[in-house]
Amino acid sequence: WSEMKVRFRLYSFLTVFQAHRRFCELLPPEHRSTEESLQTRVSLEQILSLPELKANPFKERICRVFSTSPARDSLSFEDFLDLLSVFSDTATPDLKSHYAFRIFDFDDDGTLNREDLSQLVNCLTGPGDDTRLSASEMKQLIDNILEESDIDRDGTINLSEFQHVISRSPDFASSFKIVL
Amino acid sequence: HPHQFRPKRGAKLDRWQQPLVAIRALGFSGGPLARCGPEGPPPLLIGLFGTGIQSYFTFLRFLLLLNLLTLLLTAGFVLLPLVWLRPPDTGPSLNFTLQCPGGLQPQTGVPRFHNQLWNVLTGRAFNTTYLFYGAYRAGPESSSAYSIRLAYLLSPLACLFLCFCGTLQRLEKELPQRLFLGQDYRSPVSVKVFSSWDFCIRGQEAATIKKHEISNEFKVCLGEGRRFRLMQQQTRTQRACHLLTYLWVNVLIGLLVVGAISAIFWATKYSQDNKEESLFVLLQYLPPGVIALVNFVGPLLFVFLIQLENYPPNTEVNLTLIWCVVLKLASLGMFSFSLGQTVLCLGRNKTSCESFGYNACDYQCWENAVGEELYKLSIFNFLLTVAFAFFVSLPRRLLVERFSGSFWVWLDREEFLVPKNVLDIVAGQTITWMGLFYCPLLPLLNSVFIFLTFYIKKYTLMRNSKASPRRFRASSSTFFFQLVLILGLLLAVVPLGYVVSSIHSSWDCGLFANYAAPWQGVPELMALRLPPSGQRVLRYLGSHAFSFPVLILLSLVLTVCVSQSQANSRAIQRIRKQLVWVSVRWAGEGSHLAPERGLRGGALVGAWLLSGGGTVGAWSLASRRRGAWPLGGAR
Repeated sequence: WSEMKVRFRLYSFLTVFQAHRRFCELLPPEHRSTEESLQTRVSLEQILSLPELKANPFKERICRVFSTSPARDSLSFEDFLDLLSVFSDTATPDLKSHYAFRIFDFDDDGTLNREDLSQLVNCLTGPGDDTRLSASEMKQLIDNILEESDIDRDGTINLSEFQHVISRSPDFASSFKIVL
Repeated sequence: HPHQFRPKRGAKLDRWQQPLVAIRALGFSGGPLARCGPEGPPPLLIGLFGTGIQSYFTFLRFLLLLNLLTLLLTAGFVLLPLVWLRPPDTGPSLNFTLQCPGGLQPQTGVPRFHNQLWNVLTGRAFNTTYLFYGAYRAGPESSSAYSIRLAYLLSPLACLFLCFCGTLQRLEKELPQRLFLGQDYRSPVSVKVFSSWDFCIRGQEAATIKKHEISNEFKVCLGEGRRFRLMQQQTRTQRACHLLTYLWVNVLIGLLVVGAISAIFWATKYSQDNKEESLFVLLQYLPPGVIALVNFVGPLLFVFLIQLENYPPNTEVNLTLIWCVVLKLASLGMFSFSLGQTVLCLGRNKTSCESFGYNACDYQCWENAVGEELYKLSIFNFLLTVAFAFFVSLPRRLLVERFSGSFWVWLDREEFLVPKNVLDIVAGQTITWMGLFYCPLLPLLNSVFIFLTFYIKKYTLMRNSKASPRRFRASSSTFFFQLVLILGLLLAVVPLGYVVSSIHSSWDCGLFANYAAPWQGVPELMALRLPPSGQRVLRYLGSHAFSFPVLILLSLVLTVCVSQSQANSRAIQRIRKQLVWVSVRWAGEGSHLAPERGLRGGALVGAWLLSGGGTVGAWSLASRRRGAWPLGGAR
């Protein structure tokens, strides 16, 4: 526990305890001892059932970004703590924007291209017919986004351009937050 | 049209039970003074209604603190010494005869109503308590070491100054970035796309509402862009026509506002002229009633008129808001002016005011009368809030849940409009500030009202309201609240300053009995206590010879600040251009570099330039393989 406390110094000990409790609730009863809970991994479906993540359109991306397993389909307790500390109040805006970029990068290629942006907008507006943007509206929107943020004019947004855009938004740090 | 949005009716009606159960499960027991969750209401409330609600409750808490601070100052410097020192009660210092119209003699004492409740509601039950100015008494200045008069004068001024500084400091924190980033900042859509999802939201309905909101916002943005491009192609005559339509709506609304405040003027005059007819006790509450009516009907009319013209939605919202603020503050200003006219004969010549400078025929203790009016206004506002919560929102929700005709579907639950609620509490706070001199314990009353309002609004939100589809950005909304608060404070300071410095006090009640103006107590005290050199210094500080150099110095400081900020914005432009140049150059040369995960070489340098080189450690670490902790701790 002391090693955990030192490593995750962004977090108070009490919150680590709270997080551990929530994590254990996802495990089957026989694996809930302390040593086992630190080693076992929880599958994606179980993490997605948490009430804090259930309604989030980016829940799969969040889990995949923080997962350290080779198949990116399960989270250990350390991954879970990573997730919580990035989304906590104490994380710096730089850290948050770094992870936001990874979450929005749907094809995991290190940049946000038109396809990524289109998927992002669809996640934000939802699947309903009256909220989805038409193809022409989507194209216009993505053109506007690229015109404003793509500084080196290569048709994609990289991390630094993304962070430049985010730095102009005073709301970002307070909305990129998950509280247990 | 975004304002006509309504969420789909498929949602079950018992969804409103869930938040309450969840809150109880979370063990939420915080109130306005506790720190619940990160700050303010629990995440569930924010999740259901958005972060604009959080800023409303934070604002409520800020006002409560201001009121408690004011109360502490007043109690500490005025009440406690008064109770402790117990100065002798001096009788009326003058024997006088006054020619009053109609042969009426000036009344001694104020008659009470038979009904005890009316006495409490109009403040007459507290006439002789410390709630009002009249009960404060002090001996002559030379008799005690502690000058109650000075404390009584300075504590409201000090409180107002502290509130001003506190509000200004919060305003400065929230000052929108756009003022400093130059003219090309126009709320870019990319910022909206990347930061509009609120990760605090839980619950499927709240998420659906948020998605509708975001989709509406994108469509509105695209519409605005189209509209902008069309406008650029307009001819000059078309532009002139457009401007004229813009003008006529504002002129019409201005006329409405003028009509409304003259109604308030006449109502106050009528109520003051007929004050003693105890049959018509409702006349006592006529001015607050008219003010409330005007502020209820006015915004509805404004919304209707503004929607006649086809403005972009943002302009509509801003225009309505500005006119509501103007109406609210103007009605309070007109109320205090018409009180001044009846009590102090401001702006008219009446024989009863000539001898003493105030209307001694009708008012034996005019400060008490003014204090009573403000007290009534404050109580009426609070009772109205309670009445609206329990007799309008609650029945509306019950009826909408029970019946399902098309009328009830159209009516739906009440929307929680953050700006309207904020204007209400700012008006209450302005009234408190206006009454600081006449009714020193009014902050105590206001604190109690704010405390209760916190819980009433929470209840209304959780049970009787639905989420408003109109989004109110948390950042710009806090700025707006603090700005309106400062306007209210300035509105309250003007009459107070005028009264303290130039109006003759009542001849036999209060601390400044028969002074030419309350501020005269200060030179008198100075002459008594300070040595001649001290007096000369203070006199110099108050003279013109001191204020001109100070003014010139302040102008110099302002010029330096403005030129510094201009230099900063020029530096930002230069750095932006540099960033483009460097990125383009590296993009051209860097194709042989292995694409690092998440970074390109040029972007690395660009980011370094942007962040001023300070965080280069973080960036180089972030270029490691996925799994490294970006802040430096190794796995």
